[in-house]
Amino acid sequence: MQPRKNVLLAPVTVTPTKPLTPSHLKGLLWTDVMFRATAPLAAVTYRYSHTTYHVTEQTVGFWEYLDRTRGETDYGQLSEEEIGDLYVAYRSEDRPQDAAVLRPYRDAVEHGGWVHPASERMLRLWAGHYERLGMHDPGLREHQPPGLGLEEMLERLAAVGLLLDQRHCGGPVYLDLTRYGMPLRRIVTSDGRPNYLACALRELMPLVPWYDEVVLLYDRELDSDYQLLNRVLARLGPTVRRVPIGRVPIDGRITSARHGGWHGHTAGALLDAAAEAVGDGDGDGDGDGGGTDALRLGMRLYFIATLGPGQSQSFRHDLLRNCLSVAARLLRRAADEGPAAGAADLPGALDRHRRGHTYVDPYRLASSLLGRGRPAPDPALLSAVFL
Amino acid sequence: MTSPVTATSSPTRLPARSARPAALAAPAPPAAPAASLSSAVLLKSAADRVRSARPELADRLDLSSTQALRAVRDGFHGSRGVEADEVLAVVVIGRLDLPRWVKETCAFALSLAPAAREAWRRSFTRTVYLAGNPANLRGRFAFDHVACDDSAAWAAPAPGSATATLRRLLKAFEASHELTALPAVDVTVPGRPGGRRPVHRDLYVATAKVTVTDALVHVNHLLAEAVLDGLIGPGDRLTLRFVPRLTGLGAPLAMLRVDTDVHRPDELQAYAGLTTEV
Repeated sequence: MQPRKNVLLAPVTVTPTKPLTPSHLKGLLWTDVMFRATAPLAAVTYRYSHTTYHVTEQTVGFWEYLDRTRGETDYGQLSEEEIGDLYVAYRSEDRPQDAAVLRPYRDAVEHGGWVHPASERMLRLWAGHYERLGMHDPGLREHQPPGLGLEEMLERLAAVGLLLDQRHCGGPVYLDLTRYGMPLRRIVTSDGRPNYLACALRELMPLVPWYDEVVLLYDRELDSDYQLLNRVLARLGPTVRRVPIGRVPIDGRITSARHGGWHGHTAGALLDAAAEAVGDGDGDGDGDGGGTDALRLGMRLYFIATLGPGQSQSFRHDLLRNCLSVAARLLRRAADEGPAAGAADLPGALDRHRRGHTYVDPYRLASSLLGRGRPAPDPALLSAVFL
Repeated sequence: MTSPVTATSSPTRLPARSARPAALAAPAPPAAPAASLSSAVLLKSAADRVRSARPELADRLDLSSTQALRAVRDGFHGSRGVEADEVLAVVVIGRLDLPRWVKETCAFALSLAPAAREAWRRSFTRTVYLAGNPANLRGRFAFDHVACDDSAAWAAPAPGSATATLRRLLKAFEASHELTALPAVDVTVPGRPGGRRPVHRDLYVATAKVTVTDALVHVNHLLAEAVLDGLIGPGDRLTLRFVPRLTGLGAPLAMLRVDTDVHRPDELQAYAGLTTEV
């Protein structure tokens, strides 16, 4: 028997400044299924550190905005949507923030693991969503600092000729993969602000040498940056897999959450509607059983098997409700018919959905549950991966 | 300033000082106004540059005031890309050391063939400044000149399409620091002296409210056009002198780089000046 491989799942994180939208839910569910389906086959780590990315402009900038414009506010009472509305207001503010005003916030994150109460509140609400969805919590509210400081990371890149540092004359710092024909990419501005790619490098460069396979999951729009990241990380040893995941348009439009437009489509709103549809009135997974399972499976069937990896389909409440009904039927069949012959071989069943890589493909696995004439799903599979 | 494209206004060779009374004037101060950078002098310098680059247009253009000059410049900018003979040089900067960059800029300009020189002058020595590490690019791009320490590399003046791939791969060079006044430093222009004996000139560079990026633009135009005019040749020695502003220099100047005043947008300022032989 071959030794179990070490796999690192490293999805792009969602900054805790706005409500989770269908696009976010899709990425999170996709990663969750990949993680849980790969776990029986490999030693898999799900790295998802908010700490690493708090120092990016959009997060510390939002925090500074809140303190400047709101003063003392009890964020513990605000809803996801109310905090999201403040974020939209922040992003529409036509007022550049000087690097100096953000420095105390970056320092607090770097040196003390501090999180602004608005984002702390957001992460607490998200932990509740994860719970309702049965998703593994990768440490939403834990302090998980990156393994390298900014300067250490830059030094390592410079040592292998992948850095162009022009701070000596007031310029930025670039990730330089031009020798491979890849475009120069700014990662630290001339006044010292790192972007999310710099943060990802701080986090992943020291981690990846320990793994056989690294899986990067990200929005399709970030593909050019992730190609760069892929190239840097692959030099450090592991096989790197890129899994771009298409967003979910709302009424045909793909927009960033910073512009708003998510009212009625937030994770909380969708979970409430789904709970009602499956007859789990409160949807809190408190033991009224079938409803919670149908919600968890149905959401995965919709966001993974139905929407698929692309982004051509707009979000549709009716299709989500349909998936919840299908989920309820599948669960009944699984309970009534029990495991099919040979179904007890969970690793074997999962192994079919790997195509030359170690991780299990969530789309292929989720789609395998659907289709006429399929046997009832193995309860062990459902429990291990989908509920 | 982050624009990779230089302004078209300015360095212009000042009127030749052949009428200088030279040694006859002995202990008296120079009779010629050394370098009183009056508005009229600055305007004439800027206008002469346009006439020199595009003599066929000189009679049709109004170069009589700063405002008129700006309109002419905007006109050239507006027509960019339309004119078939428009060319641009590209300089890729990895690590900037100004004296070395001055030396290599001269070497690059001296290396150009006569046709390239002429086309570049007609395009007002237009140059695009990019951030990049020449060592990482040499395998993919054939530069026309590379600094001996790989700190910078140049692509000769050519239509934009010739360097489009390079320009897509790299980013505009950004250097927002104000230029630091260094102690005076000597630079020897590379190459074996040819038809004339090497000479020594001072190169004055203004620093106050001038970013490193802006200074490169100004000095590049001045050096390039001085080379095209034969004012700078192989073996020449240039002494770089940094001053807040070129006001009241007292040194006779052979060429000026003039652009909009950092304080007064309706007036001109000299950003760099090349003296006569010292």
